[in-house]
Amino acid sequence: MIKSTFRAGSAIAVLLVVAACSQKIAPPSTQYGANPVLPKPHQYLLPPMQVPPGVGWKQGTTPAVPVGFKIQAFASGFEHPRMVYALPNGDVLVVETNGPAAPLYRPKDYIEDKVKALAGSDAPGGNRITLLRDTRGDGVPEVRTVFIDHLNSPFGVVLVGNDLYVADTDAIVRFPYVPGETRITSPGVKLTDLPAGPIDHHWTKSLTASPDGSKLYVGVGSNSNITENGIAAEADRAAIWEVDRRTGLKRIYASGLRNPTGVAFEPKTGKLWAVVNERDEIGPNLVPDYLTSVRDGGFYGWPYSYFGQHVDVRAEPQRPDLVAKAISPDYALSSHVAPLGMVFTQDCSLPVRYRSGVFISEHGSWDRSPLNGYKVVYVPFQNGRPSGPPQDVVTGFLTRDQTKSLGRPVGLAFDRTGALLIADDVGNTVWRVSAATAPTGPAS
Amino acid sequence: MDRFFPTDDIVAERSQNPTQGSPFPGRRHEIWAFSRLRLRLPRPLHPRLIGAGATLLVAVVATDLAYSKSLLVQWENFSIWLLTGGLLLAMLAGIALALDLALHRVPRIDWMRFLGFALAVLLSVLNALVHSRDAYTAVAPQGLELSVIVAAILVTLGWRGWSVGARLHPFNAQEIQ
Repeated sequence: MIKSTFRAGSAIAVLLVVAACSQKIAPPSTQYGANPVLPKPHQYLLPPMQVPPGVGWKQGTTPAVPVGFKIQAFASGFEHPRMVYALPNGDVLVVETNGPAAPLYRPKDYIEDKVKALAGSDAPGGNRITLLRDTRGDGVPEVRTVFIDHLNSPFGVVLVGNDLYVADTDAIVRFPYVPGETRITSPGVKLTDLPAGPIDHHWTKSLTASPDGSKLYVGVGSNSNITENGIAAEADRAAIWEVDRRTGLKRIYASGLRNPTGVAFEPKTGKLWAVVNERDEIGPNLVPDYLTSVRDGGFYGWPYSYFGQHVDVRAEPQRPDLVAKAISPDYALSSHVAPLGMVFTQDCSLPVRYRSGVFISEHGSWDRSPLNGYKVVYVPFQNGRPSGPPQDVVTGFLTRDQTKSLGRPVGLAFDRTGALLIADDVGNTVWRVSAATAPTGPAS
Repeated sequence: MDRFFPTDDIVAERSQNPTQGSPFPGRRHEIWAFSRLRLRLPRPLHPRLIGAGATLLVAVVATDLAYSKSLLVQWENFSIWLLTGGLLLAMLAGIALALDLALHRVPRIDWMRFLGFALAVLLSVLNALVHSRDAYTAVAPQGLELSVIVAAILVTLGWRGWSVGARLHPFNAQEIQ
């Protein structure tokens, strides 16, 4: 009996190894746009992993940009900067933040923590917003102050009139803003609670306001990769919330969006778009992260299915009724790139062919070998829809041999001169990308 | 059954002639001969560690079944912690076995039993990896299958105790010398 079991066991082991080795990985370019090539899902003993340790930049080194662009460090020495936001007077806010400590529910959580630490993703965040003022517009700020301190894992920031909204991990907080001031000491007023601990797996709360300023939109990530913390932990999560700015009343605007880390309104059509981080551990090319317009009441699949009706067997009990109505997202960015920031180009002064679309920061993969992401890309738009494959704009966040990461891009914004600002949470720097010639001012 | 094939633990107790029943060579053999000291002889350490570890690994069947029926993830969490605990104890048992062999507390290894326990450990390592998947496929179907196979191996081996040592009985005790 033992012998036959042993044979069966080794046969299983051999099959698993063969299955893992025989898998060919198609290049990311097969997964751009509306119809990405989706291989069959695998259930791994050890999911494919490649984690380049985050080491930071040596003095004087920068990410790479194409000809016609210039890149320089706008400011550095931050505590895990994740978001940048430009105020109307040109001041730039840098959100220094990281997630709350995660509970240890499984031995795997311990290992994941170690992997994150290796990648430079668990450095303590400043839990504050720093203000940078560059009055000359030369990319060298003269003023640097702590703008708001003692926040609770903040991420999204948006200014509507004189109300500055900060999306902490557990609430949207409103601060009174006086143009020109360099520090807010008022404690702020809570507008509404947001789903948070004790698990708070995807802790970032992305934030934007409707073009008329009446509503706020909040991206709330799922509380797990694929419901491994139980479906009850997912209440109100994996969704974009619509919050009434005046009353704080809220409703789920769209759901089934695993981790909507960026939300923004497309300037021509006034429609809401989001970048979403999809699920892990079923393959190096599953599931592609995506950019999508977000429909009111729409369901985008998570956890039951992806890209429409591709069922994920890990989510039990299954919900065929929800799978049937799952919307396939508009535009795949390829798998595990981890898009964490997006900005449309209405305020952009980069070369003309980069002025009609959206910039997306790809924080970079851990769940895939070879690596994917670790760059900022540009997706061109026509008539309010994506019109071509993503183009690399800012690269060189990895060493040439891909064994280490020097930085990882997160939040994006355009400053007063129309230069692109990039928060880099491994390099603890904010980068400024401008046209190599003198800036010509924002596009129309 | 035990009357004819007593385990090494009780051979000494039953033997009319303690010298013949002794599984130990050399000086220890002499010590064994003194009945007053017999009870103070160090017993092998590894069986109790194997017993404790096996208990945890067998229990995984119950928590896996509970998860499969209820889909409550806490049962799945219990399973992976039981597996982790069982494997840690297995590691300690391996060290204890090496110690027992070095100190002649175990006369002779029963290689079939050793391979049986080793297989249970190997399959449990695979099972821990399966149980580290997220959500349903951490248990069903491969996790539960592996848990049942491991439990079957351990219950079969554990029927006569948790020692990896060869079975002794008075008729062939001299083989040990």
